Amino acid sequence: MNIAVCIKRVPETAEAAVNIDSSEKRIVEDQLVFDINEADNYALEEALLLKEKTEGDITLFTVGPKEADEVIKMGLAKGATCGVRITPENLDSLDSYTIAKLLAEPIKEENFDLVLTGCISSDAGNSQVGVTLAELLGIPHASLVINMEIEDDSVTVQRELEGGLLGELKIKLPALFTIQTGINEPRYASILGIKRAAQKEIKVVENITVEGMKTEIVRMYYPPAGKMAEILEGGVEEVSGKLCEILKGKGLL
Amino acid sequence: MNEILLGCIQCGKCTGGCPVSTRSTLNIRKLIYRSLIKIKDKNKDFGIWECTTCSTCSIRCPKGVNVVDYIIDLRSYEIEGGKVQPQVRDTLESVFKFGNPWGKIREKRADWIEGNGVNILKPGEKIEFLYFVGCTPCYETRTQEVAKAMVRVLKTASSNFAILGTQETCCGNEIKRMGELGLFEMLMEDNTKLFKEFDIGLLFTTSPHCYNTFKNEYPEIGFEVEHYTTVINRFIKEQRIKPKGNFEKKVVFQDPCFLGKQNDIFEEPREILGNIPGIELVEFERSRERSLCCEGGGGRMWVESESDAERLAATRVKDAADLGVDVIATACPFCLLTLEDAVKTTNLEDKIRVMDIIEILAESVNLETKNKD
Repeated sequence: MNIAVCIKRVPETAEAAVNIDSSEKRIVEDQLVFDINEADNYALEEALLLKEKTEGDITLFTVGPKEADEVIKMGLAKGATCGVRITPENLDSLDSYTIAKLLAEPIKEENFDLVLTGCISSDAGNSQVGVTLAELLGIPHASLVINMEIEDDSVTVQRELEGGLLGELKIKLPALFTIQTGINEPRYASILGIKRAAQKEIKVVENITVEGMKTEIVRMYYPPAGKMAEILEGGVEEVSGKLCEILKGKGLL
Repeated sequence: MNEILLGCIQCGKCTGGCPVSTRSTLNIRKLIYRSLIKIKDKNKDFGIWECTTCSTCSIRCPKGVNVVDYIIDLRSYEIEGGKVQPQVRDTLESVFKFGNPWGKIREKRADWIEGNGVNILKPGEKIEFLYFVGCTPCYETRTQEVAKAMVRVLKTASSNFAILGTQETCCGNEIKRMGELGLFEMLMEDNTKLFKEFDIGLLFTTSPHCYNTFKNEYPEIGFEVEHYTTVINRFIKEQRIKPKGNFEKKVVFQDPCFLGKQNDIFEEPREILGNIPGIELVEFERSRERSLCCEGGGGRMWVESESDAERLAATRVKDAADLGVDVIATACPFCLLTLEDAVKTTNLEDKIRVMDIIEILAESVNLETKNKD
């Protein structure tokens, strides 16, 4: 089985102070640390587990700057076969549609049985690239996948639905799935593994410009300060009593 | 891997001395036996992640087999395969990304500094004493108090000291012992390169773990490395630090494995405590070379034991309670955390305090300053 996995290099923003630059359309990235997008890491692991069960290759695709090679190398260290990095001239102004369009071209050229992406990126958070890519490739898709079972030319997948429900679908291959976090336990890529992976091939697609942007970021800004938090006053017992009353009142206890 | 083990005569002194053999599946003699006669049983859990790398096994081996290196080899094999416990993965990824195992960003590394601050070394500067704070005292709230106490004591010693602030990066001692040898090498190269940007007279550490790796495993470090206990003890002898305030407590000292067993520093911590007025210093039955490991080493701060049996730190705290001490003193951030946890789980919070030696000294030195005022 030949699998394509789309991954993205994203900044780690959980703890860092995120600042908006003077254009008001981008964040300042100088001080930030980057990593593979969390959901994409689960998609990659799902591909690696499939590769261990069945024969086949894993090709990694990313749209991003030269530095995005880091996440490709990490994927190669874990066991992917080869990688493709797409760096268009107008990288800074891409939207979900144009990213999907850039990915669709090289993916179309090869006959992949399965295309996997993360269900959401931790920076832009659009959840659109995967499903748009499926549309451009003309293949069926399922989003928020939390389990996959392959049987010959079809796949049974479980999807996460609202309200704590699960949905089960049977989908014919080739297909695209956007993978939800928690589907597996991603493995570790050792430093020696990453160094060795430097010998594997990363194909670079550059000197191209993509057209057809559908959305544009008008501005980024900080949300206005909301209502003040309620500060409970008093000793430990008094405060914990008040807290219990509030939680009970909200039906949480 | 087998070459390390060829001297083994299966006497079992390693397993006999191993502190975690009593509470886990790890049986180091059996593990070596299986390796020597090439039994392959990949699916069996040999408890290799239970090892605290305290090195009792290697030190007691009559044939000089470096048993800990064998454990590190086994772990590195798992690391290279990638399928390790999530906590191991997350710890290693955190060190790779942020330079510390606690999952915290570099920008917050010096947030513990209080009040008038500390001199942070700039490239090209010359410094007599570089205080290497270490990841745990930089980020972990309880042990931040140890770093603060260190600064308070050093300021009274009129010593020319500085820290690296946010430039400081994990020393790699635990990373090596978790089997991530590639990452350890990277940290060693990066740190050695960083140190060369300054003119350092002497580097000393809060943690015996950082001390151990800088002292024994950084071949090109180019200056003296000490643990703080030896530096501070010297300062006391030279009367640069004068502990005067009474600390009227019964105190027992927990020898950290990476300070005592592995680096033969037994006297200096006791001398510091002995020089603080009021202290009644007592000894554990098992002390010095025979000291019981707290289970904080070898990556065990981030890898949970599979065993439900009583933790060694709890055993240790109960021993201390039997001695009737008020304070367990130690000189290692990991010992401090594991023992303090154990004091809570054994409900001895009202009776026993766990303190780093430097915290006790800071109280004594500060009392002196207050008296002067």
